[in-house]
Amino acid sequence: MIRHLLILIWNRKRSNMLLAVEILLCFFVLFAVSSLFLFNVYHYRQPLGFDYQNVWEINVDPDADTTDFHQQLQLAVQRLKATKGVVGVSKTGRNTPFSFSSRIGIYFYKGKRMPKNANHDADDELREVLKLNVVEGRWFDKRDAASTRVPIVINTAFKNAAFPSEKAVGQLFTDEKGEKEWQVVGVVDYRAKDDFAETIPVSFRRRVLEYDTAQKSTYGAAVFLVRVQPGSGALLEQQLIKEITTVAKGWSVTVNSLEQNRALSLKIAVTPLIVLGLVCGFLILSVALGLFGVLWLSISKRRGEIGIRRAMGATAGAIGSQMVGEIVVVTTLGVLPGLLVAAQFPLVGALDVPAGVYLMAMGLAAALIYGLTVLCALYPSRLAAGIHPAVALREE
Amino acid sequence: MLLSYLKLAWKVLLRRKFFTFISLFGISFTLMVLLVIAAISDHLQGAHAPESRIKRMAFITFLNQGYADGNQINTPPSPYFLDKYVRPMKSPEKIAFYSLFRASPSYIGNKKVELDLKFTDNVFWEVFDFRFLDGKPYNANDLRAANRVVVISETTAREYFGTTRGVVGRTLEVDQRRFRVLGVVSDVSILRFNSYAEVWAPMTTTKADLRGPALEGEYFAALLAPEGTDLETIDAEYQQVLKRVVNPNPDVKTLTAHADGLLATLTRQILGQGESESPKITAFYFIAFGLALLFMALPALNLVNINLSRIMDRSSEIGVRKAFGATSNTLVGQFLIENIFLTLLGGLLGLALAYGVLELINDAGLIPYARLTLNVRVFGWALLAAVFFGVLSGVYPAFKMSRVAPVEALKASAN
Repeated sequence: MIRHLLILIWNRKRSNMLLAVEILLCFFVLFAVSSLFLFNVYHYRQPLGFDYQNVWEINVDPDADTTDFHQQLQLAVQRLKATKGVVGVSKTGRNTPFSFSSRIGIYFYKGKRMPKNANHDADDELREVLKLNVVEGRWFDKRDAASTRVPIVINTAFKNAAFPSEKAVGQLFTDEKGEKEWQVVGVVDYRAKDDFAETIPVSFRRRVLEYDTAQKSTYGAAVFLVRVQPGSGALLEQQLIKEITTVAKGWSVTVNSLEQNRALSLKIAVTPLIVLGLVCGFLILSVALGLFGVLWLSISKRRGEIGIRRAMGATAGAIGSQMVGEIVVVTTLGVLPGLLVAAQFPLVGALDVPAGVYLMAMGLAAALIYGLTVLCALYPSRLAAGIHPAVALREE
Repeated sequence: MLLSYLKLAWKVLLRRKFFTFISLFGISFTLMVLLVIAAISDHLQGAHAPESRIKRMAFITFLNQGYADGNQINTPPSPYFLDKYVRPMKSPEKIAFYSLFRASPSYIGNKKVELDLKFTDNVFWEVFDFRFLDGKPYNANDLRAANRVVVISETTAREYFGTTRGVVGRTLEVDQRRFRVLGVVSDVSILRFNSYAEVWAPMTTTKADLRGPALEGEYFAALLAPEGTDLETIDAEYQQVLKRVVNPNPDVKTLTAHADGLLATLTRQILGQGESESPKITAFYFIAFGLALLFMALPALNLVNINLSRIMDRSSEIGVRKAFGATSNTLVGQFLIENIFLTLLGGLLGLALAYGVLELINDAGLIPYARLTLNVRVFGWALLAAVFFGVLSGVYPAFKMSRVAPVEALKASAN
């Protein structure tokens, strides 16, 4: 049967090849869009590993007023902590959850370069503020103030990449020359700072205000993460700004809630997906309509052939399934090379997602294509099946 | 001749309405997507108020400093750098300085309004042609005396005061201080980051240090070239100026920057990582064109398939014309013209669809303050895209049609 179909297709190879190429292009489009869609769904379904609700982000920029910046920051933290409605205050860097900035940490372990990781400044309170979940070891505390090496906490992804079979706590990272040292004190199951972001290695470096004051390091802006009581509003926000500006008049201060930031980052991530989905949907719809038209015309051209088959005793069902079978074979000719190309992605491991997601995307794209072509072939094949042999042959 | 081709094409279109619909659907949708992209790109870099003289404007936006150890930092320049090195430049007619915009919270009772604040000098209002609804911009005196005055946008006036009328002279709290409103201007799209803000204030009122001798800062400069002068003369002078710069940071070994037109500032940052010698505009056009081609490939192939299937509809006509001596070339020309006619028709439909989509984007407020519109430039792009699409999808079917043997064709039609 299939051999027979292949011969029929070979006889009309030019037009069938064009159809197969069109189906191949269609498959690529569907594969790209469905893998993009599935990746995002996959990431979105993983828990973030922190609690963003009722956490506010306060950006402080000293502008020109940099004298005693760190002492003033310490004062500001004390005032914030004393404010009614504030549960916890933590100082961190610009790359807060859902923000668009990022910082990369580079570590070496026994002379070997560790995977690129997102690096965050953290202090002893950050765990309380973001409700981080420590799965191994401990979070930073007062004991670390005396330590000679900078203590760091890493996330599970980093632990799995660096120490798949050992315990992470107690391990030492160095810089390239082996001069600076960092000691891992704990592991948290923090995933990433965005819902749609890939799961990446993350490290938290202890950087408390007292430490910075001693080191006399100067760096511009500071960011506070503040956990507030549920239901706090603009009144508290305004008060927090007042608390900070009483400490230092010249500073610019802005407050945003992490929920707001999350909504914005979701909007920025989802809008292009929706637009892409719509464009792809219409593209595929117009291709489907075209396919339908082509099949319809080709059947009206093959009336003679169908008439003879009917006269020789083929049933209407046999004719219909031949027509559908032909288009399924042509589709396969288009999809097979597409699958071959698509299979390279999980083999190369182009993106950090399980191969299963790629396979699902390939399956989804192929299923959509087959569904679409069969759907387009159904009506024309029913027309073909309905051809009366006497009428068709008299025309001939 | 042409007229009779068009008449014929029209008749063919009417003959099988379903196929005409399929073809037009594909064409108009494809062209609509391209048009929407063209409209957005025109909005991004075309000449619109307050940047009507965009062709004559060069921008100084980023400084690339290379350290001895190979590290590079790419930042906007500081007001110190602009004042010392850019201000004395001879070739520009006018030079305006302005900061990046920064969100600043403002509170009205229990309500919070985030206002994007930009600090500028007074020349800013001469280089950019804002449309003032009320009041006037601040002048050199305000700048010198650091008067706390601001110009605000229409939407800001409505949000903060509840009205756009009579707000001049009232005060508004921003950047944790009170400013007096001097003027109200029409909204500016956030995509025009050079002129965009919601509140504009004299740069001397900023809390930041304007005189600190560092090259990196957060200010841009817009240089207005005199009528008829090439922007390249400005960049040439700027390159001379850069050679004289004494870097206060001794670790920095190289300094690269350019005074570019708007599109070039974007392409250089995106494609050249901010440091390349050429503005990369050609590369940008190649990439844009390539992507558009890729996007058109699938619908074009679709149209090719439909056209090929319809050859037989026309076989008797082709046979007769061939028998009467029409050459293959004439027939290819005729079918191409027919196909272009069809795509132009689709282009017209696409234009209407694009108008609808743009209105939808505007109403949904996807891009703050953006009013995406269709204009002559976009219409020109539409025409070009439609003709290109017509040729792309018409050449192969026309070739196939012209190759039909007259005997076969005439015999086929006899059935």
